[in-house]
Amino acid sequence: MTESRRHQVELANMAGIIERLAGELALGEEPARFIAALEGLGLGEDEEEVEAPRDE
Amino acid sequence: MSDASLAGLAAGIRARRISPVEAVERCLARIRKWDSRLHAFIRLDEEGALEAARSLEADAAAGRWRGPLHGVPLGFKDLCHLHGLPTSCGTRMPEYFVSAQECSAARRLLDAGAISLGKLNMTELAMGAYGDNVHHGDVDNPWLAGHAAGGSSSGSAAGIAAGFFAGAVGSDTGGSIRLPAGCCGVVGLKPTYGRVSRAGAMVLSWSMDHLGPLAWTARDAALMLKVMAGRDPADATASRRAVPDYAAGLEGGISGVRLGLPENYFFEGVDEEIAAGVRQAARRLDGLGARVSEIRLPDPRAITDVAMLITRAEASTIHARVFRERPQDLQPMVRARLQVGFGISAYDYLQALRLRAKLTRAFVREVFAEVDVLLTPVIPESPPALAALKTATVDEFNTRAGRFSRLTRPFNGLGLPAISVPCGFTAAGLPLGFQAVGRPFDESLLLRLGHTYQEAAGWHHRRPAGC
Repeated sequence: MTESRRHQVELANMAGIIERLAGELALGEEPARFIAALEGLGLGEDEEEVEAPRDE
Repeated sequence: MSDASLAGLAAGIRARRISPVEAVERCLARIRKWDSRLHAFIRLDEEGALEAARSLEADAAAGRWRGPLHGVPLGFKDLCHLHGLPTSCGTRMPEYFVSAQECSAARRLLDAGAISLGKLNMTELAMGAYGDNVHHGDVDNPWLAGHAAGGSSSGSAAGIAAGFFAGAVGSDTGGSIRLPAGCCGVVGLKPTYGRVSRAGAMVLSWSMDHLGPLAWTARDAALMLKVMAGRDPADATASRRAVPDYAAGLEGGISGVRLGLPENYFFEGVDEEIAAGVRQAARRLDGLGARVSEIRLPDPRAITDVAMLITRAEASTIHARVFRERPQDLQPMVRARLQVGFGISAYDYLQALRLRAKLTRAFVREVFAEVDVLLTPVIPESPPALAALKTATVDEFNTRAGRFSRLTRPFNGLGLPAISVPCGFTAAGLPLGFQAVGRPFDESLLLRLGHTYQEAAGWHHRRPAGC
């Protein structure tokens, strides 16, 4: 198999996987919910204290 | 604690048993003796290290302590940009990566008193699982000459095992901290996505890249992570969560901790010796108070495929210029992997990012309702002979490398913290290791588990005989 043909096969495989998995994605699903999952489901939730901006 | 560990060395310097200059000279002596075989360094900075050590020695004499790592020599993977030293990223171009921004994680370590010995060898563009590099020399395994050190943070792991420095910074996009840690018998921690800023480090895949510590012990990694972690205005993905004192919690034991051994995927196709080593470690952890059970996981192949697609698309985007303008300068394996990324559609890439969010939520909710920590092998086969890798075709090589990282890559996709801890040796004398994976931001438990295991098992008292 040529290099170009191998790449085409690999791309087609990846596209097939995504098509299969993405079939049941909810409309509300979007990439930023990944960070939200880590922060929301992670251990503890305390934030560092951040200095408030000073009035000049 | 011996002076061989980072914690022991830091304590020795603070107690004035050893000076920063002596610490650096000890490291340099070992590097001069052994690095012609190991190739851990791309750029050794002897003069810079000695100058920094003299300055820190004067500070110590005057009672000025810069921080918890005062006088401790470290190494930095050559994708961490530090002013004054070029950043090749493992390519043949010394200044491949130029940045106005220093690597925040490395800078924090230096500001805490650490000394930079220089920049460490790595797989070209951090794209590879074995630590081979045609431009800077293949990194050799300190435990068995002629075998892979693992990649891509190969110099970081090999240098710690050889006693070249007390700790190192590595990066991990598909396993590049944990794989070399597993191959070289040291501790490597990939923190939660966002726990450590990536600012000032070369990007391979902004969605999957993590920076983290490699060290001889879990205690050493805890000390480094405390300094490296935390919010950073230069990296919008860096979490604002408070950074715990990881070392303070190490002695709490693991009584009642629920450990899960996966029934599916993680022990499939794994060398019997490696699987047996992990199960033996699980029994020891059970004896130390953990509650070990088997668990069936949501199929990790889905997140692995998603992570691979995202990594390829982003890597090709970031490194498009060198691919198009100087392809002959890249190793054929790297070129082939980049080539595929250019063909990924925006539709597939964005669907993969949406899937990642869904898969992560489902995995965390389902798995961590039942267990606190997952225990798996790090690598599926012993570090291969470097000579065997050289005879493989590009296709064979990349297929094998993909298999080699199949146990670590899922946790880049999921963004979960994962630590590699040594747990013995094969009959041939190569290290065995386990991977422990926790809830988001639960690095404290992983470090405590690693520390508890190391103190009981004692494998970290062994050093490679060859160096």
